[in-house]
Amino acid sequence: MAFKDILQHLVQRNSGYLELRWHKRISNSFLATKGRVDIANHSVTEGVGVRALIDGAWGFAATSDVSEAAIKRAIEQANANASLLAKARGFRHVELRKGKLSTQDFIGEGFAELQGMSIADKLGKVIELERNLATSSPRIHTARARYTEYLEEKAIVTSDGARCSMKIAQPEVSLSAIAEKDGQRATGGRGAGVSGGWSCLFRHPTLGNVIDDIAKTTIDLLDAKYPEGGRKKCILAPAVVGLLCHEAIGHTVEADFVKAGSIAAGKIGEDVASPLVTMADTGNESIAGYAVGNLPFDDEGVETENTIIIKDGKLASYLHNRESAAEFGVNPTGNARAWLFSDEPLIRMRNTYIVPGKSKLVDMISEIDDGYLIEGAGSGQADSNGEFMFGCSHVWEIKKGKKVNMLREATLSGIAFDVLKTVDAVSSEFQWDLGTGHCGKGQPAKVDAGGPYIRCEINIGGRQS
Amino acid sequence: MSQTRDTITLLSQKLDAAARSTLAYAKKQGADRAKVSASCSIEKRLVVENKEFTLANTLESQKVGLGVHKDQKKGSASINNADERGLQQSVDDALALAKFSVADEFLVMPNASEAPKAKILPFMWTDRVTEISLGEIQEFTQAMLGRLTKDKRVAIDRLEVSTSCMWHGLYNSLGMHQTESQTSLSWSFMGMAVDGKEVSGFDYEGRSVYSWDLALDIAVKQCDEFSEKIVKNLRPGKGPSYKGPVLLSPRAVEEILLGTILYHASGGSVMDGKSQWGDKVGEQVVSKLIHISDDPHNSRFSGATSFDGDGLPTAPRILVKNGVLISHLHDCYTAKHCKTTSTATSGGPFSLVCAPGTTDLLKMMNARNELLVVDRFSGNIDPIKGDFSGVAKSSRLYKNGLDHGGVAETMIAGNLFDTLKNILSVSTVSEDISGAMQMPWMLVDGVSVSGS
Repeated sequence: MAFKDILQHLVQRNSGYLELRWHKRISNSFLATKGRVDIANHSVTEGVGVRALIDGAWGFAATSDVSEAAIKRAIEQANANASLLAKARGFRHVELRKGKLSTQDFIGEGFAELQGMSIADKLGKVIELERNLATSSPRIHTARARYTEYLEEKAIVTSDGARCSMKIAQPEVSLSAIAEKDGQRATGGRGAGVSGGWSCLFRHPTLGNVIDDIAKTTIDLLDAKYPEGGRKKCILAPAVVGLLCHEAIGHTVEADFVKAGSIAAGKIGEDVASPLVTMADTGNESIAGYAVGNLPFDDEGVETENTIIIKDGKLASYLHNRESAAEFGVNPTGNARAWLFSDEPLIRMRNTYIVPGKSKLVDMISEIDDGYLIEGAGSGQADSNGEFMFGCSHVWEIKKGKKVNMLREATLSGIAFDVLKTVDAVSSEFQWDLGTGHCGKGQPAKVDAGGPYIRCEINIGGRQS
Repeated sequence: MSQTRDTITLLSQKLDAAARSTLAYAKKQGADRAKVSASCSIEKRLVVENKEFTLANTLESQKVGLGVHKDQKKGSASINNADERGLQQSVDDALALAKFSVADEFLVMPNASEAPKAKILPFMWTDRVTEISLGEIQEFTQAMLGRLTKDKRVAIDRLEVSTSCMWHGLYNSLGMHQTESQTSLSWSFMGMAVDGKEVSGFDYEGRSVYSWDLALDIAVKQCDEFSEKIVKNLRPGKGPSYKGPVLLSPRAVEEILLGTILYHASGGSVMDGKSQWGDKVGEQVVSKLIHISDDPHNSRFSGATSFDGDGLPTAPRILVKNGVLISHLHDCYTAKHCKTTSTATSGGPFSLVCAPGTTDLLKMMNARNELLVVDRFSGNIDPIKGDFSGVAKSSRLYKNGLDHGGVAETMIAGNLFDTLKNILSVSTVSEDISGAMQMPWMLVDGVSVSGS
């Protein structure tokens, strides 16, 4: 009997609203550095998460024992927890908007390919990548190659009609290097993650010529100068656009943050960006075909969609789960996501991006007299007031319409909506470029982000004399 | 005995048996050495979002991780139950990975004489925590929420309070065997201040304690301090621009300075030639004003543990004294690589304490006619080159020693190797950071400050 059928059988026996989520994750992680294999790990996590809604109060319980008897006990515990909360002073009375509940059985591209591939081939490739990067130049002091894959299987059944299952694969690889010359060191790296198989991963544009590019950039950074601080005309590369979309805008439009009073609260319909900017969060992207946050449905069983957050510069929508959708009087957008069976679903992004425009990168550069092309996106953080900070390993100085020198260690900051209002060009070139690593919001989540190149004004952190 | 304690006892007995049979199976399948880490826990948790209780959660979990060495190659696997068939499959998976791995002469596991039984830290388990009901957690949470939102401008996005009772066992095929049990009461909250259209920066706090006693007093004090701080961050002004001294709060000391110190003191960095301090034990590496120790047996800190990730008994240890590097931090593997002995810090350090200094905090705030006081740091730190740059969050401008208000969009940048040598003063007061470590305030020089 398939898990979906077992869950369906159990849901039918419960009186109130019930959501059962079976989740099995197989992950393989490899890390090679200095000719060693530091990590060669295989992990299996499986269990059932149960959410019950009684008298408007949520109760949650989970079990790693997937026998029918154990799931029944977890249902009883979730019901008891919900009943306890319903008696508490100041509990939130929850209502759910139904939305489009999924009944599909989805098998994602690449799942069978990745599942069927031998460990020897995968680990062998990681060892080879590290070796090739390490030997690409005598200046390379340390190389590091990391590969992680998730093979996800889920079945979700709710008492009001969701009855769906999925199998998806999410592999990612990242490479980094430390270069050294005369006691000076510089670091560089690249990575890519996809929702797809092995061949899809290694077709990712970020991984084209990856060894030579990392080595060259890292070695060039040894002699690079720091950028001059101040407010500058800049072109942001797709990875930096992705960071801006995800960290500085995306989190502020998650409905739970909106309710807490984020900068986006009460701004639906208002101008928040240049009319050239249309921004979205999608669970089934079709622009490039490899984004890692692709999901057929979310962890409440709601089918995902392409949610337009900003339309021609005006704030158009927040990101919702079923609960916040009911509260805001809109349809759920399929953004409820849980990391493991033992986690309750939270409002999370999937693939967040700015829609490509009509300009060409080469023209955008040629129109700048004094500015920067911002590449090498590193980590980024943003605040509820829209203030953000992104680190970039390198940027290109643009002088009189030409890319001239590569500079090191730029930090960008600003207020997201203010920066988006300065956008005066959006390229037709597009790339997903944040598919490695995880978004953290209490729980991790695999997300992607990217976009076209955009030209705007932004603060660059520099060095004061 | 509480039901929770009974359940943990039963689960730990089951996991103990599973760990021993897994080691035996690994040996039978040809592993030269094997290690099993088994754990189980029971957690009760309440969640508040936007001042309302939104979720009651209970979770019982188990995890078994194992590592094998075969022909000096390694592989590892883990599952989240103690099912015998699943564990045997994990052994087979780990051995399959080891087969295709790269031989490494330095792979090692300690034997029973190298890893004698660690002394239990009695403060880590209190029966009272095992008896705490969801109803009591609710009352505790309600009290915290009342204090956090006493000022109506404080918006709490999320508040979580939980209890956890857990058991952890570590075994290897050379006879090492350690176990530890732990109870904890933890809380975390994040929020901001909202006043009309004004929204302050986001901030967060959290803490974990082993015992129910005094927990509410600690939590309430933390809530009051948090509320006061984020309300003060409404309507920030323009930050200054200069190169010179900035005052780092204990949290900023941890976020900016500590990571680089640990990176260069780590045995892994020394082993790979990435540490600037590979041959600097016994030499001055940072300002003479810095003293750092690791105290894994201190009941104040949530990272306390009687044994490290290799199974070696832990002990308090001085890392930096008067700016002199006393010791690198090694596990068994990096120690063998570097031809030295382990410092029993696999998975550590566990509870860092940076000693207070001799300068009054008020005097430090008057160090410059315009001084940036950094509460948090959001940015990038490159421990290899030492470069750091990012936004000074929740930070304030002091003029001639007086608080002149919060500042927005102010960036700081510099080089940590220079900064660590340019510490002008260390405060007489120090603070606990999330119950995990203790840091003083530090006045550091040579930092570029760029206001908006």
